[in-house]
Amino acid sequence: MSTYKAVIIGGSAGSFQVVTKILSSIPTGFPLPILLCLHRLKHVRSGFVEALSLKSNIPVIEPNDKDSLKPGIAYLAPANYHMYVELANRIALSTDDPVNHSRPAIDLSFITAANAYRQKLIGIILSGANRDGAMGLKKVHEHGGTTIVQDPAECEVKTMTEASLQITQVNYVYRSDEIINFLKKSVRS
Amino acid sequence: MIELSVVDTRTICRIVQEKHQFDLSGFAHTSLKYRLAKLMAQYKIQELDILLAKIGQDDGFFDSFLHDLLVPSTEMFRDPSLWRWLKEGYFPSIKDKMTGNYKIWLPLCVDGYELHTLTIVLKELELLDKVKIIAGVLTNKSKEVIEEGILPLKKYEISAENYKRYQGQANFDDYVAKHDYYVVRDRSLIKNVQFIKQNNLFDHAPGNVKLILFRNHCIYFNPSMQERVLVELHHNLSATGLFIIGAKEKIKNIESSDTYDLIDEGESVYKKKFVSKS
Repeated sequence: MSTYKAVIIGGSAGSFQVVTKILSSIPTGFPLPILLCLHRLKHVRSGFVEALSLKSNIPVIEPNDKDSLKPGIAYLAPANYHMYVELANRIALSTDDPVNHSRPAIDLSFITAANAYRQKLIGIILSGANRDGAMGLKKVHEHGGTTIVQDPAECEVKTMTEASLQITQVNYVYRSDEIINFLKKSVRS
Repeated sequence: MIELSVVDTRTICRIVQEKHQFDLSGFAHTSLKYRLAKLMAQYKIQELDILLAKIGQDDGFFDSFLHDLLVPSTEMFRDPSLWRWLKEGYFPSIKDKMTGNYKIWLPLCVDGYELHTLTIVLKELELLDKVKIIAGVLTNKSKEVIEEGILPLKKYEISAENYKRYQGQANFDDYVAKHDYYVVRDRSLIKNVQFIKQNNLFDHAPGNVKLILFRNHCIYFNPSMQERVLVELHHNLSATGLFIIGAKEKIKNIESSDTYDLIDEGESVYKKKFVSKS
């Protein structure tokens, strides 16, 4: 039985391939919900979830407001909405102002997930071109969650990962293969 | 930004209820907590007690506070496909039934972006004079903001792009006056709008409404409040009236519901079910 309750992944430019690789490598029936907060074009509402679903071993959905979070499903933050983790293990969406020029903002998803799951959360920051996510990952760390940053040497754009590393003593700096192995191992025990 | 605890948030809700008889308990916790912390930072208030004192003692402050607490629309013509559907599908189909008593209700207007968008759509269809638009506001400040019509430059740019995707008949700039750092929306478009000052979310509801636009408001309520809102709004719709919520807001269990039919899933358009009185 895993000690974790959820995984949250944030990424921007250069993260799509890594997320695809993660989703196609984790086992079917992965026992945790995976929250995906990825920067995307705000006016393009369709196509992204379909592209991520192509090779994924678990269903990928864009949640509606107040949907319950369930294991074995990846929840992609919808275009032009922030995605929060709300009380009672639910998703809450918001149209509040952009944060770090982004809606969805990775910081807000990570901060609310950290408040909800505390030490039972795995937070992962991938390749990206701005500083969004750095503050969120710091909150995951402060609440005792496990923090992982994609190795900047492997990132297509390293601004986001380096920003995270500057303000947080993260648990692991991993290449994408190692992130996948960690996820598989951490739900096995 | 100050970190508010669950207890802090509940204390604010209690004081607001006691002093102003306004119920914040139905608001979704996470977004309410974030908005409250953001407002304290905006007002440069560091201590919770100071905020509570101002809420308790100053009615003018509370009016602004409540306005600022509500999340405004992101832009005009958000989700252009919905507005295109209204323009090309819905409004032309009911054009002949519009007799001047065709009521459109926008409860909980904060900044008027949806309201102004609607008036542009109707004006281009030459229907603006054939409808009665009712805008619900919770605060005096919301009414002032809407009538002032300011659109910050960034939101103007996004709105103008949306208008192109909507495929409007004119140029978006025809509906605004430009200044250095903002634009002002054409106030003449809302001159016939009836504003209703609501003391809570449901009082002074107009009734017998043909179309309710309530996009991206339910997301700020908890599930039980959402349920209540949907019931109250349903009561105010006329038979077969249309109810539009945000693209990612859904009426759950619609299959078993005897209240609404789903008309367009992507745009979250619902129609009140016609129940014959036999």
